[in-house]
Formats: sequence, structure tokens, C-alpha cells
Amino acid sequence: MTSRNLSVAVDIGGTFTDIVVADGAQFLDQEKILSTPDDYSRAIQEGLERLFARARILPSEIGLVVHGTTIATNAIIEGRGATTALLTTEGFADVLELRRMRVPELYNFNYEKPSPLVPRRRRHEARERLSADGAVITPLDMVRLRATLQEVAAQSVDALAICFLHAYANGIHEQRAQEEAERILGDKVYITSSHRILPEIREYERTSTTVLNAYVAPVVRAYLLRIVGVLSELGVTAPLRIMQSNGGVLGVEAVLRIPATIVESGPAAGVVGGAMITRRLTPSNAITIDMGGTTAKASLIENGHVIKTSEYEVGSGINVSSQLVKGRGHALRLPVIDVSEIGAGGGSLARIDTTGRLRVGPESAGAAPGPACYGRGGKVATLTDAMVILGYISDVGIAGGTVPVDRRLAEQVISEQIAQPLKTDVLAAAHGIYLVAAAVMTRAVKAVTTYRGRDPRDFALVAFGGNGALMAPQIAESLQVRRIVVPPLPGVFSACGLLVAPTERELARTIFERLAKISEHQLKSWLTDLADKAIQQLLADGCSRKLITVRYMADLRYAGQAYELTINVTPAPSGAFSLDELARAFHEEHNRTYGHSAAGEPVVLVSVRVVAQEPAPIAEMPRISLRHESAYPSSPTRELYFGRDHGLRQAPVLGRGALRSAGVLSGPLVVEEYDATTLIPPGWRARVDADVNIVLDRMEGQDGSA
Amino acid sequence: MAARDPITLEVVKNALDSIADQIALVLMRSAYSPVVRDSMDYSTAVCDRDGRFVAQGLTTALHLGSFPTAMRSTIAKAGGNMRPGDIFIFNDPYGSGGMHLPDIYLIKPVFLRGSIEGYATALVHHADLGGIAPGSMAVHATEIYQEGICIPFLKLSDEGKLNQTLLDMIAANVRIPRQVIGDLRAQMAGVTRGEQGLLELLQRHGANDFYDYCLALHENAEVAMRRVIASIPDGCYEHEDFIDGLGEDPKPVRFHVAVTVKGDSVALDWTGTSPQVKAAINAPGPFLASASYLAFRCLAGHEIPNTEGYTAPINVFAPRGTIVNPKPPAAANARGIVGFRVFDTVLGALRQAIPDRIPAGNEGGAINFSVGGQWRDQVYVFNETVMGAWGGRPTLDGIDGASNLAANQSNQPVELIEAENPLLVERYSFVPDSGGPGEHRGGLGILRQYRFLAPESVMTFRSDRREQLPPAGLEGNLGTPNLNVLKRKGGKLRLLPVLPMEAYTVEEGDVFFQVLPGAGGYGHPFDRPAELVLADVADRKITPEYARALHGVVIQPDGTLDTGATLNLRAARSVTNSRAHLAFFFRAMGELIAGFTPPKTSDTSGVS
Repeated sequence: MTSRNLSVAVDIGGTFTDIVVADGAQFLDQEKILSTPDDYSRAIQEGLERLFARARILPSEIGLVVHGTTIATNAIIEGRGATTALLTTEGFADVLELRRMRVPELYNFNYEKPSPLVPRRRRHEARERLSADGAVITPLDMVRLRATLQEVAAQSVDALAICFLHAYANGIHEQRAQEEAERILGDKVYITSSHRILPEIREYERTSTTVLNAYVAPVVRAYLLRIVGVLSELGVTAPLRIMQSNGGVLGVEAVLRIPATIVESGPAAGVVGGAMITRRLTPSNAITIDMGGTTAKASLIENGHVIKTSEYEVGSGINVSSQLVKGRGHALRLPVIDVSEIGAGGGSLARIDTTGRLRVGPESAGAAPGPACYGRGGKVATLTDAMVILGYISDVGIAGGTVPVDRRLAEQVISEQIAQPLKTDVLAAAHGIYLVAAAVMTRAVKAVTTYRGRDPRDFALVAFGGNGALMAPQIAESLQVRRIVVPPLPGVFSACGLLVAPTERELARTIFERLAKISEHQLKSWLTDLADKAIQQLLADGCSRKLITVRYMADLRYAGQAYELTINVTPAPSGAFSLDELARAFHEEHNRTYGHSAAGEPVVLVSVRVVAQEPAPIAEMPRISLRHESAYPSSPTRELYFGRDHGLRQAPVLGRGALRSAGVLSGPLVVEEYDATTLIPPGWRARVDADVNIVLDRMEGQDGSA
Repeated sequence: MAARDPITLEVVKNALDSIADQIALVLMRSAYSPVVRDSMDYSTAVCDRDGRFVAQGLTTALHLGSFPTAMRSTIAKAGGNMRPGDIFIFNDPYGSGGMHLPDIYLIKPVFLRGSIEGYATALVHHADLGGIAPGSMAVHATEIYQEGICIPFLKLSDEGKLNQTLLDMIAANVRIPRQVIGDLRAQMAGVTRGEQGLLELLQRHGANDFYDYCLALHENAEVAMRRVIASIPDGCYEHEDFIDGLGEDPKPVRFHVAVTVKGDSVALDWTGTSPQVKAAINAPGPFLASASYLAFRCLAGHEIPNTEGYTAPINVFAPRGTIVNPKPPAAANARGIVGFRVFDTVLGALRQAIPDRIPAGNEGGAINFSVGGQWRDQVYVFNETVMGAWGGRPTLDGIDGASNLAANQSNQPVELIEAENPLLVERYSFVPDSGGPGEHRGGLGILRQYRFLAPESVMTFRSDRREQLPPAGLEGNLGTPNLNVLKRKGGKLRLLPVLPMEAYTVEEGDVFFQVLPGAGGYGHPFDRPAELVLADVADRKITPEYARALHGVVIQPDGTLDTGATLNLRAARSVTNSRAHLAFFFRAMGELIAGFTPPKTSDTSGVS
């Protein structure tokens, strides 16, 4: 066997752990194995062992292992994080629990507020005070501090978060308190200070982020050490990189410095993969749709880049627009790929509500009992049941027939629960469920487009996940999107995304000064200092200086506003940064996003930001060969229902390779693969492009009505 | 396509909700004043061609029911004279359907093929509109003419041409024109974004089908509301509640309602409510109806659509000249307190009919605090609302620190306040022993403590619930009182009234302590599981003495439960004195405010 340079990606989801191996840029093999939530490393070990045996992989052939994990998110959602204490400025121990007050739903007497991650008994105060400009008003009282830290020690905590007022402006008191805490509590307690995690104004958001960091740190550390152990047991010596919430990967040591950076790594890899696909499209703009069993996630790719936000709530379950509906989870103000998530997936329950309207989700049948048609005890109609009746999903079985499907069970629940109350037939009811689910998902897409002043018609949809390519056509219809791209391996697309994610460090510094009072020299020195720091950290993580690229950004707003817009700063060939250009770009982006701007108003530079990256060794999504596809489809044709306008249509069912051979085919047809199905409705035509994507184009003259 | 297909109905409803949310989002993110961008004191709505609202952004609940009057007034005044590109503006409560001067409405008609097919609207509480005190919220204004600039029904944009004269006029009459004009710009951008969204929806479905779906949503909401009303036993339920009163020698202001439930409709008659007063707490216009609807809207739960149809079975009447239906020129800027009390009074009446569905009283509404003056050669105005204690609920505890449901506003970050104003917020914390005892206890009171840094500033505020405490549910206890304490630099403490009839001049080094009432408890306090009482003690939310006296729970010195002693105490199941807990509250205040002595009432003795 010739020597290979293999990369391995391990992506843990709620139901499945996906493992993908590529040789250079060539996809080699995949393994889908049920996750083992009591100890995720078990499924990883077993999956790798199986894969190594089947694909005859020698551990020494592996050059890189990339891992995406929901371990931190799960710890927060399930309340299984570290026993954490919090030290605050005197008078402000309750900031964490008072939060921002707003309730995420109107008119609900029975609203339940999330419990604080640190209860009041473990929230302690220090006598100290800074002013907004960082000046010391009350010096840190060391005598009292020591007594307080003794109380903390007596509470046998695993972690301590320190967050003092205005520490973003001056970290001196936090620094001293941290040193004293390290001395008194010893190295068994993880200690973290806000000025190191998030030197940004707004005390609740900073406190919450620091607490989250402390809360997940011991869990993340133990977990990553276990993964390192599994790999070494298998003889794998390649470096391990971990996916962060911002779409970049980092080494284990770097992640353990700020473990909160991996809290939202779950959805990130799919979006990174989507960006990679989008870069090869013209124009390079797309909306990614990732839809599995319980939720749908939409994200925006502009000019091939993912969009990030630092306004996020973790553990908030599902929301349409995290920007407006605050208060469901715990604030996390670290850069996160901006994903709008909504409770609509294959397992979403359909029902008639008390007012007689048809609703789909957000409740889900999950993996157990699952949709009724799986015959595993599911008694409530789901979206999957509807799609089986409509013929969109094979009624022979899914996942290559490993999960059998019983169409009669689907018909029974939809007939009883939906069709009869609506006084309609089963087909119309099933189609209604499909349309309502698409309408709900459309809100998620709007949240990342029209809510930001972006017209979805300027974007393609990149659809993946088990159900993404079934729902995308209807979403595209309602938003008048003209193109849908379904990449290869849609069912393990997130794992593939891990392989192409860059190693990345993002650093920011709060400036809070009017542009008019800043010199270009200052701007340049802030940005280059920050870049140097980020580059140093990447070098320490094993990156090569020659491969590192840096992007510069500035967060700006009009004086008096509360929310910034992030503007790219491009240095001139001379290396200079133009303030005029920055201001112009800000006015333009403000007008684009909000529909108004005010050129005469003073503009404030809130912070500067750099992203330093080393690209992944694989520069494109892994290529596949289509040799295994002869096992599909499940049947040569089947009957599909497309609503009253198009009615029941006999449609061919074929594999991706057959579609490629056929050239361009018009809908209706279905492309069936091992773990995903692509629906091509009437009015659309499909082909397979050079990258083996299925590309759906809406035919001219379609008015978009369904 | 056949109209009234239930699937399309749901699709249209989703689209309408997202339009109202988009208006709200553009407003919040591009606004200038903390009241809008942080507190989120604004509302957005999308209306059909008749001007009836069909969607609301997730913002201030109390505002929603005001849109019907504002829209009726708009249509009556502008009728056939609207043109594409027009934006109407008003705040006049006596001539235009407004509520009080700070709330400025913008209404943009949406045209499709030459005819009006809907409206995009936004109502924003502006940070200052002039008048006798910074922030324009002074209680002591006695006529509307003292309250700031009054904008009758006008065009802010005439076929797309901006009315700069009006903007200049507004700018010249307010203390912080950059913020106010900036917020108006954001408000215009919001309704324009709403217009775009509505147009796309209209083009997709066609004007007539779209309108038919709006009618279906109204009907849907009305049917659901009628079902909710029908679930309340028929009868006439009378209830009274009070605002403590004005100034240093307060006389209770009475709210009296007779709620008559008959089948699937309900009438609310406010006869017996106090006459209007010579202070800024009169509520003209649609505020009474809006607050009255709210109680029923909450009972209906979250599934019914937010469309005007749900108001149809609810009939609200109040005699002219009362505080809830005043005659001009009654002052109104601080009238928010009336909305909170109307909501409470309706809930009080319903508590008689359906006690197992009505929570105990909350903190009684937002405290409104404004201060302003000169700072480093510039005018500064700071105002905020402080709220956040929910009463115990039939199946759940109250909430420590969640916005009053009627207002749903955010707090403002202390660090931003201090970065932008000559203020130091010295404390923002719960007050121990301040929740009303109950099986489901009331949310804790909150202390917000400000130190003034400018040489001289002018402060006003509006609060309540010092005498008339937050009500209890079933056998629970009342909540705890509001306190406003001013400590002059080097001087003594002074307890200020709930609704002061003056503005206070404060100087550098003065400190103001604002104490939010604790909410009422629900159910007998002895029925509260001992482990929950223990947890509250461990969290220092209540003291062991309070646990013993009010919950009958005895805790041993090592922090564990004394089961025997607890059983003994609880066997007695005394009817607890509903004000006994106040002694504990005052003791806690004494620990938080050096030198504090309780006001001289019968409630203050008894802490051992």
C-alpha cells in the first residue's frame, strides 16, 4: 500500500456520531454510529476501530484528527457543569440572576425563567470599585477578599468566575483577586476572570460569559483528555484539533485556555462546509439549511464567508431570532457563527391547536419514540410521517433500508389527528403539514436575511442534513430563491466541514472612542498589535507563519446607539488603514442593514478585531466517487403529491450518479441516497455539477405559488 | 386558490409576525436612546386595510390594545387623503388617539396598485419631549401644557418628502435632540421596513385573499377569546384597588371595576373610579382599554393570534372625568402607573371567579426614574424603568427578577449608565425577606442605589405600592412596600413619597435608594415544601427567623431541617398576620441602608 495522508473528522450529534476519513481531498469512508451520551468517547473509539478495520487504516497514516463536539452545550442544557462560584463587585452579586429582565414571551402567566448557573449561596462579593474609565474609586480590600475566598474554599467548588464592574476598562482588581484565589484555592479549582475572556462593556453579558466559561471548563478538560487518551490507545499520534463556535479549529491546549469558545461548535462545521461549497458558486452568496430530526438551522454566507455574531444565548432551546427574543438561555458574548435555529425537523409533531389551526413543532418525537411510521411506538403525527405519505421519503425504509417504514401507520395518525379535524383527506393533510413546516423554517431563513436587510433572492440555498434537501424546494418557492445546491454526502456534511475548517484565532480589543479623535497611525497600531498576538498564539498551536492570513475588522456605531455593525478593514498596499474609507463603509452598511444612515453624525469605534487563520490542509470539500450508489434507489418510480395545483405525479427515483449520467432532468423526481433524499418538484430541473453537487434550478415562468 | 385554506392561514400568520418583529428589530438596533435600545419601551404592529392590527412585535404588552383607537383616529382624519410615501405622526392624547406625550406614533399606509391594503406602525416612548423636568415624566405637572411638545395629527413624510419643519420644531423643544431625532429616524426606518415586508406578502397572495386571511385571523382570535371568557363562571365580580396617592400627604386613588361575565362576552365598568387628578397620572385615550384587554389576553395563553379580533367580546366603559378617562387638559405623562393598576384591578376581580388561574400580585408596575442636568457643558437626561418581581402562581413560585408582564422591558446595564451619565449605581440587588410568603412565594424586591456625580441635577420618579401592598393569591401573604430614600451628602435620610408632587434638586454626593416592592405570595405559607424554604435560606433570600415565623420551618444551627419542631409549628396552621413579614423586610432594609429606620406604622415591631 502506498503511503497515504489521512484526515479524520469526528462529529458528535444528539443521535449519531459521524466519522469521515479523507485521503488528501478524496473521501475515503464514513461511519455512522449511535452516540453514547454517558461517555461519548466510547462511540468514538468503537467507530474508529470499525473504520480502521474496514478501510484498512494504519494509525500512522493519519496526519490530522478534527473533532466537533456538543459536550459543552450539553453540560449547560442538562445542568451537569462544574460546581461554580462567582466573585463580583460589592452590591452586584445578583447581576447574574437579575439578567436583563425581559421575558421572551408575552402574555404567559406561567413563564419559567432559566435558573442561574451559580446559585445565590455561591455568589460572593469583593469590596472594590472602578469607574467607567477604569480609575480606582475603592481599592480592592485584600483582607476581606481572603476571608471571602476561605468561604469559597469551604464550598468545595470546581471552578470560580471573577467579574468586577468595569473590568473591561481595567483588569487590575480582577487580576489581583485571581492571583489570591489561585493561592488560596490551589490548582484543582479552575479560575477565570472576565477581563481575559471578554473585555467588553455590559456587566450581565460579561458575567454570564465568564460564568459559562468556568461552568464548562472542568467538563471540557476531562472530556478532551479522555479523547486524547482514546486516540493514543489506538496508536494515533496526529494532532487533535477542536471545532470552536466561530467556525475555526484550535489545538487542545488553546481550547482549554477559553473552553467557552467551543460551546456552540455543534452547528458550526456544517456552515463552514457550506461556505466552502459557496466559494465555488457564482456569486459566492448562499443560505445554508441544515435540517435533521428536531431543528432546522439557517445561516448566511456572503462572499464565501460565514457571518458571526457575539450576541448569543446558550441553552435557549429554539428561537427564530435570537436578536429580539432574549431571555430564554444564558448570554454568551463570544464570536459564534450566526445561526438561526427553529424547532422544525423530521420528528416535529403536527397537531391542531386549541384555536383550530394546524401547527408543526417545536415539540419533537425525537429518536424515541420517533415518527409513527417507524413503528417504534410513536403515536403522534410528525413531518416525517407526512413526507412518507407524500412519497417524498421512501416507504420501504430509510438509511439504506436499515430503518423500516410503515406507511399505514403514518396514514392512520395523520388521518385521525389532522385530516379528520380539518375535514380533508389524508394527502391534503400531509401536504398541509409539509407547507406549515416550510413556513416555520422560512422564518429562520428570514431571520438571517430580510431581518438584516438582505434579499433572499440574491442567494442560493445550500441544503444538507437528513431532511434539508426535502424542505429546501418549498422554502425556495416562498422566498423566490432560484437555485438550490445539495452537496455530496449530505448526511455527514458537518463531519466533512470539520476537515476544511481553518485553524483560527479571533481577538478583539475595546476602544470606545469617536472616529474623529483617532489617528490612522493609532488604528494601525491597534490592529497590528492584535494581529501579532493572534499570530503568536497560532504559532504556539503548531501553525506555520507562511500559511497564516489575517483579516482586520472594526465594530462601529453612531454615538448613542447600543448595537455595533462589524466592518471589514482592508489595508492599502502601503499598509495604511484609511479612516475615511472605514467611515464610508460604515454609513453604507448601516443604510443597507437598517434602511437609514446619517453621514453627519459622529461615529464611535467600539472595538477592533482580527481573525488570524491557517487554512486546513484540505482546501476543498472531500470529493466522492459514486461507485456505491448502485444499491439505491429503493424503487424505480413512486407516486408523489404536490398539492392541489400539481396533484399526484408518478416520478422517477434515482441515485446521484444516475442523475449525473442523465444530464439535466425536470421535476418531479427524487434523488435517493444512503442517508438523505433530494426532492425535485415540478417547475424545477436538476443536474449534477463538476463538484458532484446536485444543482436545482427553478424554471422560468414559475410564479412561486404552491 | 380557494381562500380560507387553513394551511395558507398559518403561512400568512407566520409572515405577519415576522414583519412586526422586523420593525421592532430595526428600531432597537438603530435607536439612540437607552429607553428604546435597552429598555425596549416601544411597540410595533401590522394592520390590515381596515386599520385593524393583525400582528404585534414582541415588545411592550400594555401598548398593544392602543392601536385600534390610534388607527381609527388616523383613518377618520386622513381618510381618502393618504398617498404612497406618507408617514403620519402624532402623540396628542386628546385630539389624535395618542396616550401621553412621550409616546409618538408613526403610521405608514401601504399601497398596492393605488389602494391602501395595510399599515405598518410603530409606537415609541421617546426619552425627552421637553416640559417641566428632564425625561418628561414629572408627576407634578398639572396640565398637559406643562408636559412637553404636543404633536397633533400631522405628516412626517408627505409622499416621501420629509417634513423637516416639524423635525426642527421637535428638536428645538426637547432637551436631547440628537437622541430624539435619532430615535425618530430609527422609527421611520422601522415602518418603512414593515411596508416592504407587507408589500411582498400582498403581492404573493393578492390583496383580496390577503384581506380575507386577515379576517380569518380576527375571527380565529375572537372565537378563541370567546371560549376563554365562556370558561369563567357567569356573574358580576366587583373589585377595588388603589394607587397610594400624591405627594407628602397622599390620599388613596381608587380603581373600581365591575366585571360582568355573561356567556362568551364580558363587560368592564369602571364607574366608581376616582375623578381625574391635578397631577400627571391621568390616563386619556385607549390606555384603559389596552390594560383591560391585557388580563384576558394573558388568560387566553399564547396560542391565539395577536389580532384585533380578540378585543371584540370585551366591552370597556369608564365615566368621563375619571382618572381612567380624563377630560383635557389633564396631565398624563406619568400615567403608566394607571395601566399597571387597571391590570391588577381586573385580575383582582377575576381572582374571585377563578382563583386557581390568577397569580398573586406583582411588584405593582415599573418604577420610573428620571434625572438630568448639566454635565461637562452638555445637557444630560437619564431615565429608566425598574421592575421585576412576579407574584406566586397557582402552580409555580413567583419570579425573582423578571420584567412585569404588562411592560416587558429590559433593565439598563450599569456599566453603560455610568459610561454615559454622571451617575454611579452603587447597588443593584435583591432584598432578602421581601417576597410575600406563600406556598408559592412572591418574587423578591430589588434595591437600585444611585449616587449623583454632577454638581446639580433634577430628579423625578414615579412609584407605588407602599400602603396598598401587592395582593396575595388564595391564602398567601401580601408583598412588601416600595421605599424611596434620599440621603443628602453628609446629611440624614429622608423618605420620599411614592408620587412626589415636586422635582428634587440633587447635588454631587447625594445618594438615592429606590426599593421595588416584593410580590405577593400564593397559597398558605405553611404548605410550602420545607426543602424549598431551606434552599431559600441557603441562598440568603430569606433568613432563618423569617422561615420560622412565616413558613413554620425550623432550621437547626448546622443548616439542616428540624423536622419535629417544624411539624409542631405547622400543626398550629395559624392564620398568619398578613403584615407580620414586614418587620423582617424592614430589618433587611436596615442592613442595606445605613441609618435606615422604618416609617412609623404598626407594621414595624416584632422582629426578635
